[in-house]
Amino acid sequence: MSILAYNGGAVVAMKGKDCVAIATDKRYGIQAQTISSNFPKVFQMGPTLYVGLPGLATDTQTVHQRLKFRMNLYELKENRIMRPKTFSAMLSNLLYEKRFGPYFIEPVVAGLDPLDNQPYVCNMDLIGCPNEPEDFVVSGTCTDQLYGMCEALWEPDLKPDELFETISQVFT
Amino acid sequence: MASVLAPEIPAPGFSFENCQRNAFLDQKGFPAPKATKTGTTIVGIIYADGVILGADTRATENTVVSDKNCQKIHYLAGNMYCCGAGTAADTEMTTQTVASQLELQRLHTGRTVPVETAATLLKRMLFRYQGHIGAALVLGGVDRSGPHIYCIYPHGSVDKLPYATMGSGSLAAMAVFEARWKPDMSEEEGKKLVRDAIAAGIFNDLGSGSNVDLCVIRTTGPAQYLRTYEEANVKGKKQGSYRYPLGTTAVLRQRIIPLEVEAVSVRQVQPMDE
Amino acid sequence: MASERYSFSLTTFSPSGKLVQIEYALAAVAAGGTSVGIKASNGVVIATENKHKSFLYDEHSVNKVEMITGHIGMVYSGMGPDYRLLVTQARKMAQQYFLMYHEPIPTAQLVQRVATVMQEYTQSGYTEELELDDAVHTAILTLKEGFEGAMTADNIEVGICDAAGFRRLEPAHVKDYLANIP
Repeated sequence: MSILAYNGGAVVAMKGKDCVAIATDKRYGIQAQTISSNFPKVFQMGPTLYVGLPGLATDTQTVHQRLKFRMNLYELKENRIMRPKTFSAMLSNLLYEKRFGPYFIEPVVAGLDPLDNQPYVCNMDLIGCPNEPEDFVVSGTCTDQLYGMCEALWEPDLKPDELFETISQVFT
Repeated sequence: MASVLAPEIPAPGFSFENCQRNAFLDQKGFPAPKATKTGTTIVGIIYADGVILGADTRATENTVVSDKNCQKIHYLAGNMYCCGAGTAADTEMTTQTVASQLELQRLHTGRTVPVETAATLLKRMLFRYQGHIGAALVLGGVDRSGPHIYCIYPHGSVDKLPYATMGSGSLAAMAVFEARWKPDMSEEEGKKLVRDAIAAGIFNDLGSGSNVDLCVIRTTGPAQYLRTYEEANVKGKKQGSYRYPLGTTAVLRQRIIPLEVEAVSVRQVQPMDE
Repeated sequence: MASERYSFSLTTFSPSGKLVQIEYALAAVAAGGTSVGIKASNGVVIATENKHKSFLYDEHSVNKVEMITGHIGMVYSGMGPDYRLLVTQARKMAQQYFLMYHEPIPTAQLVQRVATVMQEYTQSGYTEELELDDAVHTAILTLKEGFEGAMTADNIEVGICDAAGFRRLEPAHVKDYLANIP
């Protein structure tokens, strides 16, 4: 069994027209046993920036804290908020540092660029190889099924309420 | 560790903090998951006026296509590019690191950096990690001594060839080269040959797919990156729309977070070489 | 001399309350050649005199205007060896920043980081609406103040940065600007 599936959890993010959506479950389990159903895996990192960290729960929390630390340092030093693309580059570097002893998470980044409000989604493997597609990204335990649902339901240029409906139905 | 002393740019090199824990999990029956592989067909040839590099654009995680249009021809310097196969993160990071070193070398010497230098930097880095950095590369470029193609293997060995292929689709692509490559081909002939070699990989190797990317580096002028030179696997058109009507999903709770819009006055200037 | 006992360390005060090495450094800078930087509406210009102490130099093989990264250049007054060390450091910082964030380092950030190496304070310039060409002209005029001997395209250097990035001007190009100087 993969350690990525030990605690369970999945995250999806998709682009719409001038908007993005990110969705997650909130289960925290130990294999088949559910411990909690209010365990956050998606975190707000900026006014228009969210990161989802599905995988091993301990690493979800560690990576979130380390990201927040590095991001705070950047924002204090440069006196500006971080762009999603910059955030992805930083996250990718953080994961690749642990190339030979990785964190067991596969992150998803979703946000709007603060400069031009363009939507941005990105996912990575556990050692930080970024993937920035034009449609949607999935990550976590049921990716095969989520890929299938996304391919079927997603369409280009969805408006915010349509995007909400689509991502919700993909996830349920 | 996270302390006030932790630098923004952390200590260089890899961290092995999690290794012991991960080895323990492995022992308990939870092996480390597989990273994204490029699968890949990548090729490079020398033709009359320089070199042409080619690559497919599929990335896989086991049997799932994780990226339908990934970029496998990486920028190294104005006069050279490098195709990467193997572990996707490794090819990405290795080429970025070397590109950075090459830029420093260029500024230091004030000259165009020879392709040989890049080949040496890459092979030394890969040899140092004894094959654990899973990057198989086709390096191509031009310098004062003409066009060059290098094959660099994950363990750090190097081949210098007039035409080369790498990745899981390398056999299919090499079959095309062995049949049709000849010295001093024209640019049109060369592009056609490289396109056909990549297409052979895309159609005959399950690890390769999607589009053909090319990069032409001429001895006479700047490199020309032809991103999506051809869409070999055009995605089928969806016949129906499966959209759910608005309101299908029951909304239990709604919270609106107001956005504070700030004017940011940092001017973006693009570096010259890009 | 009593101060000699304190002159070995950069950060030990002498009994009279001076950092002797720092004073030496400031004296060295004061003795160095003039350099100027001007901000224009569509770019910036940096310029300096570049007189060589010996005719054995190939005058264009030793540069004072250096590129740090695509959009940043640097010039100095003071000690050449110190400057070259800072140039090397600055280039590395710019590359490290780019690798970490995949975006070019903002000039203010580079300045701050180079200043950390120098243990010095920084100064930002006065700005007004000025075209780049006029800024180059003004820079050369400024250099001319206190310039000893005749100014030629071979004993000054000019670097400019605009939307296209940073570049050092060729002597022939500098000559064109010099032609318009009274």
